[in-house]
Amino acid sequence: MNVLEIRNLTKKFGDFIAVDNMNLSVSEGEIFGFLGANGAGKSTTINMISSLLRITKGEIQVLGRNIVKENKFSKMNIGIVPQDLAIYEEMTAYENVSFFAGLYGLRGSLLKERTEEALEFVGLGDKHKALPKSFSGGMKRRLNIACAIAHHPKLIIMDEPTVGIDPQSRNYILNSVKKLNQMGCSVIYTSHYMEEVEDLCTRIAIVDHGKIIAEGTKEQLKSIITDTKETWIGVKNAERLDLDALKRTTGVNSVRLEEQTVKIVSKGEINNLNWVIQQLIRDQVEISSVEEQAPNLETVFLTLTGRNLRD
Amino acid sequence: MEFWIIGNKAALLFYVIFVSYSVVRGASPWEMLAYLSYLCVNMAIPILKKQRRFQLLGSVASAVLVALLAFRMNTIFILLLPVNLYEIVLLLGGRNRFALLLGLVPLFLIPNDEIPVYLLSTSLSLLLYYALRVHTEKLEKIGEEKETLRLDLQRLKQSLSMNEEYIRQSKYTIKLEERNRLSQQIHDEVGHAMAGALIQMEASRRLLGANPDKASELLGNAITISKEGLERIRLTLKDMKPRSEELGIHRLRLFVDELSANHSINATVTHAGDLDVITPLQWKIIHENATEAVTNSLKYGGATAIEFEIRVLNRMIQSVVADNGRGAGKIVKGLGIVGMEERAASAGGTVIVDGAKGFRVTTLLPLQKGG
Repeated sequence: MNVLEIRNLTKKFGDFIAVDNMNLSVSEGEIFGFLGANGAGKSTTINMISSLLRITKGEIQVLGRNIVKENKFSKMNIGIVPQDLAIYEEMTAYENVSFFAGLYGLRGSLLKERTEEALEFVGLGDKHKALPKSFSGGMKRRLNIACAIAHHPKLIIMDEPTVGIDPQSRNYILNSVKKLNQMGCSVIYTSHYMEEVEDLCTRIAIVDHGKIIAEGTKEQLKSIITDTKETWIGVKNAERLDLDALKRTTGVNSVRLEEQTVKIVSKGEINNLNWVIQQLIRDQVEISSVEEQAPNLETVFLTLTGRNLRD
Repeated sequence: MEFWIIGNKAALLFYVIFVSYSVVRGASPWEMLAYLSYLCVNMAIPILKKQRRFQLLGSVASAVLVALLAFRMNTIFILLLPVNLYEIVLLLGGRNRFALLLGLVPLFLIPNDEIPVYLLSTSLSLLLYYALRVHTEKLEKIGEEKETLRLDLQRLKQSLSMNEEYIRQSKYTIKLEERNRLSQQIHDEVGHAMAGALIQMEASRRLLGANPDKASELLGNAITISKEGLERIRLTLKDMKPRSEELGIHRLRLFVDELSANHSINATVTHAGDLDVITPLQWKIIHENATEAVTNSLKYGGATAIEFEIRVLNRMIQSVVADNGRGAGKIVKGLGIVGMEERAASAGGTVIVDGAKGFRVTTLLPLQKGG
């Protein structure tokens, strides 16, 4: 079953169309990435999924149920980590998590158990009594996540959870996203850090001006632009090179030599680096560097929209 | 909705009859006449369904009748007044606050002990009236939506059939062009060669007895010419593939040249990738969207340069029209943009309009590989 199903979703603010007839579905067990520049409509969509914004047109279903008609059901099954921190500075870490879990109807020993579990999960198990005031940016973010997962939601929505934090906390958060996913949660992840999305997500939608302009696995997205990759091999004694033999190597489309670099274009899905290097060794060519120039999501985004993600 | 009003009136009338019976015991003929005339006037209202003016007239008459009866006969009749008043307001399509006030007017004219009953019946009627109003508005809205959807559907259907017609026509045109080209080429090249070879061969036959050396030379010529002719035939046939790409990009170039000439705008076209894979229908969409984007740029953008770019990627065709004008912070979708979107959607694509640095309209169309 699809955890999330969005049909013809539109959000207007006056004349301005923030989300434009969007269709999307996220199946169970996916980490779904939302990629787009600022103002592309990511947060607006998320705010509609979490019922913070009223839907202008269209429908959203969580676990097959309409979120407007069965608002409580959808809220119980969604955990949201908002872009702006939603924690109380004056309450301890424990009180924060237990407060939010309490809002979802957890009581008594279950509440205690889940609160401790959530704090443990984000690595704040030893900070029960501490006030968020004393926390670093990364710790606050983690506490924010703990607040969102204590009630064991099926779908966790993370809106730019790694903005402005130290690399360590960032790694911690990325790992916990993977762990949550292994535990059976579906995750919607928005970010404009391309590497994060590329590393984490099983499926990605590129959003621009409120529309999904491309959607699929990262391989599918890259294949929109090209099916080939380029390998640049720096060589010392280029005169020994047998270009024709290289061209005959499995998967190679074309080979050209530019000064001291052999540029090999090959089919994207084939890993032929071993064969290529073997051929070079056979020719007794001295290799000084190897660089793979595969297209990344950044180039996909740039090519399709004509803009950089962080414009 | 009128059934509810009728029900409302009937309930109130029964109550009035019941009260006047239980109080006075037995009806006077005048009262009977009053009930019947009230019934007559009010039954006429739903019957005159299509004529709003007469309905209004009936309702007003009924209100006057009720007021008259209340004054001259029995104050209990005043209970029937609010329904009529609300009905009038409803028929006029007026505001409900106004209706509420109207209902309260008779409050000053009736005896104190009847005020609670009057208030009750008035508020019940008001509730009903309000619900009816909301209901009607909703129905009207749904009807309107349905109507726009129907029109949309019709328009899209029409454009779909136009596209089909276009495909059919362009197939036909390409066939025709191909046939013309073939016959022209066969005539120009192969035909001449064959004629040349034939002349040489005939000459050689005549010379065969008298001058065998010369005849053999001529025959040799004929063989060479025939060989060349054969080669030409091969080339001509090999070259047969339809060139929709030529048509497409040339038309765009022509359009851009015209644009530069007529509007003193620096317009350029660039393209990358294998344009051959773009189908005539996709070219049509690219053209129409480009024209629309240019209209937009000329109208609002204040641009001095427009750039056209067509790129064939691995799985998408991307056509960009970008100007260097002032663009727009927020883009309000007009008919032009909606039209572009619809055209793109008809081929499974999307349109992005960006106004951050001048207008930049990107049409993305999916590419079916090997299809």
